[in-house]
Amino acid sequence: MQMTERLEPALRGGTAARKWRLGRDRGLLTAAGVLVVLASIILSVSATPLSYYDISQIVSSGTPLAIAGMGQTIVILSGGFDLSAAAVISLVNVSLAALPPDAVTSPGMLLLIGIGIGALVGTVNGALIAFLRLQPIVVTLATMFILQGATLLVMDKPGGMIDASLGEFMGSEVIPGFLPMTGALILACLALWYWLKATPFGIALYAVGGDAESARAAGIATRRVRFLTYVLAGGFYGLAGVCVSGQTGAGDPLVGNPMLLQMFAAVVVGGTLLGGGRGGLTGTVIGAFVLVLMVNILLILNVSAYYSTIAESTILLLAVLMGALHRRSELAENLRRAGTRFSAWREGVLAGQRTTDVKRLALPRRVEGVPVSGERQGASLLQRLGRSRPAILLALPAFISFAVVLLATEFMLGNTLLNGNYYNTLLVLSCFLAILALGQGAVILTGGLDLSLPWTIALAGILVSGMAAGSNAELIYAVPFVLLVGALIGLINGTGIVLLGLSPIVMTLATNGFLQGTALIYSGGTPDGFAAPLLRSFMTQRVFGVTPVVIFLGLFVLAAVVLMGRTAFGRRVYAIGNSARAAALSGVPVKRTVVMVYMLSGLCAALVGILLSGLSGQASLGMGDEYLLPSIAAVVVGGTLITGGRGNYAGMLGGVLLLTALQTLLAGTTFPTSVRSIVYGVVILTAVIALRERR
Amino acid sequence: MKRILKTTVMLAGLAAAAIGIAAPASAKEGKFKVFLSMSYIGNDWQAEAANMLKAMAVSPGMVDKIDLQVQVAGPNAQKQIQQINSMVQAGADAIVVYPISPTALNGAVKNACAKGVLVIAYDSIITEPCAYNVHIDQREWGTKSAEWLVKQLGGKGRIVMINGVPGTTVDALRIEGAKEVFAKNPGIQIVGEANGMWSQAVGRTELSKILATRSWDQIDGVWIQAGCYTAISMQLEAGIAEKDLRPCAGEASNGGRIQMLPVGTEVEGANGTYRPVGARRWSSGSQNFTGALALKLAVKKLQGGDIPALTNVPQNIVTNDTIKLCKEGTWKEMSEGCNVFQPAIIPNPGWFASIYSPLTPEVGLQAALVGQPED
Repeated sequence: MQMTERLEPALRGGTAARKWRLGRDRGLLTAAGVLVVLASIILSVSATPLSYYDISQIVSSGTPLAIAGMGQTIVILSGGFDLSAAAVISLVNVSLAALPPDAVTSPGMLLLIGIGIGALVGTVNGALIAFLRLQPIVVTLATMFILQGATLLVMDKPGGMIDASLGEFMGSEVIPGFLPMTGALILACLALWYWLKATPFGIALYAVGGDAESARAAGIATRRVRFLTYVLAGGFYGLAGVCVSGQTGAGDPLVGNPMLLQMFAAVVVGGTLLGGGRGGLTGTVIGAFVLVLMVNILLILNVSAYYSTIAESTILLLAVLMGALHRRSELAENLRRAGTRFSAWREGVLAGQRTTDVKRLALPRRVEGVPVSGERQGASLLQRLGRSRPAILLALPAFISFAVVLLATEFMLGNTLLNGNYYNTLLVLSCFLAILALGQGAVILTGGLDLSLPWTIALAGILVSGMAAGSNAELIYAVPFVLLVGALIGLINGTGIVLLGLSPIVMTLATNGFLQGTALIYSGGTPDGFAAPLLRSFMTQRVFGVTPVVIFLGLFVLAAVVLMGRTAFGRRVYAIGNSARAAALSGVPVKRTVVMVYMLSGLCAALVGILLSGLSGQASLGMGDEYLLPSIAAVVVGGTLITGGRGNYAGMLGGVLLLTALQTLLAGTTFPTSVRSIVYGVVILTAVIALRERR
Repeated sequence: MKRILKTTVMLAGLAAAAIGIAAPASAKEGKFKVFLSMSYIGNDWQAEAANMLKAMAVSPGMVDKIDLQVQVAGPNAQKQIQQINSMVQAGADAIVVYPISPTALNGAVKNACAKGVLVIAYDSIITEPCAYNVHIDQREWGTKSAEWLVKQLGGKGRIVMINGVPGTTVDALRIEGAKEVFAKNPGIQIVGEANGMWSQAVGRTELSKILATRSWDQIDGVWIQAGCYTAISMQLEAGIAEKDLRPCAGEASNGGRIQMLPVGTEVEGANGTYRPVGARRWSSGSQNFTGALALKLAVKKLQGGDIPALTNVPQNIVTNDTIKLCKEGTWKEMSEGCNVFQPAIIPNPGWFASIYSPLTPEVGLQAALVGQPED
């Protein structure tokens, strides 16, 4: 702590001398520009002129997203990630709605209760992340499940009443005809932020996010900073929950949940960098309103229902792309490089164009007594195990927890440990996540995230069922075609990320929207066709008590372990995850590898779509929706670092088995959903706490 | 500075281009401006309901009266609030809405009403008193389905429950109604319960999880909100004879209803387990025509007529005694009692067959499939 104080003047000096530079605020300016464009479209095309009342309504509906997004931004600036944010909003909403009527009638008290609940959750998250050194994504994923359960415990269906005084307060005006209360709240939050930013805490926040190791070395109490970050963010989510409650006047246990992905989109559109250290809250507020105004834009343009996700994704991409249109952007760099390459090619000076004779050094013939690499096989099994000790340690927690869940299932439901049918079913159900985990895992290892899985799965299922139309012969071309489509989707994702320099979250989220539109248009709202009988038997029949897909899964796992652990591709993925820069300097083709990683993910998702349609007998539109969060959960529970570079497929497989076994156990009970959700979260949390890496 | 200028010019250009593309959405003279705010469109039920609503809008009696615009809010209540606000701002006369939340929209709906806009919700509920509602009694769905199942089992047996989306009113009401009936029959034992999310695909994985530690021998009946088709298919795949299929109470998928037809019934386009197997079933749907009916009622109200605050649509319960195959699926044919369609016409077994109502002669099978009204 002393160190921090001593450093303080120096840091302060730095900010005071800071000059306004375009580069630093480019993200913010771009977002503001997009907002201005959208607003001017609305103002000029709108059938009736927008009054102050209309604008104040837009501000009010955007406020919860803006404020929650601000909390998320603080966490992301510190290098973290918070999946529990949306769940806090729901919990605050139902908690306020469940208060006995007339118990609390002052808006101030309600605000305090809401912010308090949020901060309390933040305290728990912060303590686990900062003091137990757990990964933010795992912790907040677990707390998300626990909070969703707690929310359903408080209120299992929409209802309740929130004191009318809160609604009146939120609907009131600070400066009549100019500033609504909600707008004032946003401004107040921003004021708080700008004050905070100038304090030692604010500076330390950016430092920790920029490079935690350096920050620690510079004497910053990184743990305390992290802890406070989550508490603060929790307060913001709580406030967002209060805003929602004021607007709606009643409780709904699901009200916050869909805001999670939107929140990330707002953060990224606002110019904050995932991974930490760069960006700010003002941008997020603007980003939030860009998203909110899209609703008006779609209405004004009268975009038809099936095209609405496509239109939305286009606007999102355009908004983010504008940030990429400057001299030092990824896109410009790439264009310049391509230009250089082209002129080099014209001049014929590219390395590949040289016609010089190949001058390879002649290697000496084998010299007696010098071991050749092949002789490594002689190493004893024990030595080999020792070599892969870190890998095993990483994968172990998930498998130990899996074993515990198996025992619990035997104890609670019986008929488990010695029941072949149990294992067969478990493996059939696991195969989807196990396959997705390879793709999503590889993406996560490179520090990205693939959010386009849900509709890649659905589109693949719809295509393969539609093409096969219940006949086996068609599978011969249908399956390769659909896999190709999956890889192509990945290629688009990868290209957008690598060539245009877009954030993986935005790119894959937009792709997901495009795919949803495509699937709807292709199927006309109701997919037809059947999975081929062969595909159906592959997923549902038993040969000597074993479903064929289980054998396939075994082969897939083997191939995946080899791919990630024993091939150049796998090594490159880890190298990029550890440091893209270091990897590039060591000659790893970073861009090509990243594109391939997304192609792998698309391929895996398409495979899952095919298998899932085989299991169900046909495809349905939303069939991929249930797999996005679990695919991330399985990967991180299996010991993979979300920020990349650490983890292995064996661990991910352990994570998949653990989660599937746990769900199987819970499905066999008659616990209410609320309790199940809490148990699910607690198990994930205990697994990572009990078996965490100790230093 | 130059760069900022350049960016500004570029943005302005883009804005101009965007405005050029956008044709102002102006209502044609003398027509009511009606908006539809859908929630999620990624499932069969929503797509069908929207198709029927669109067909109603272009039906002969309606086409000259209204100008319908459709918008999608997705699963996000915040977004739907914003959508309703902007519809009011765009000068809506009426807003037909599939409400994502029964409570969260109340503020926005109240505002709309205050500005003289008619708001009418279908299938799900809006609790704000100024809104009109059109839906079936979901609690009654729960009790009736459970009563049928209890009767089939003679008051004694082990059952599995597959629910819908937790935290929604529809799901909670159905479970509440069903569990009340099961509780009154101590012989009924619930041995497994899971959330099927109203999707055949999820229903299948959840049921598989329950069956991991239990075999069908230990299950006597199934109560499943959406997915009897799946439950029956899984039994057939497990080698259970058609006569031994467990009774199943659930929604109104066409696949499930085809399976109710007696073994040997001639149907066109049967495939795999999508065929008549004489399954013992209770089938009743959240009616797909409620959106179309809501639109019809809205127009009636706009023309000065009177409509009730709550239109409680009667259930259309189909059991093995009343199941009847449609030949073409016209409204007239359905009014004579048919309630399931040829697999050749409906290749997707998850498609919902609850499209008939005596209140909406404008819309039949063509409406649900492609949005075309009856001739």
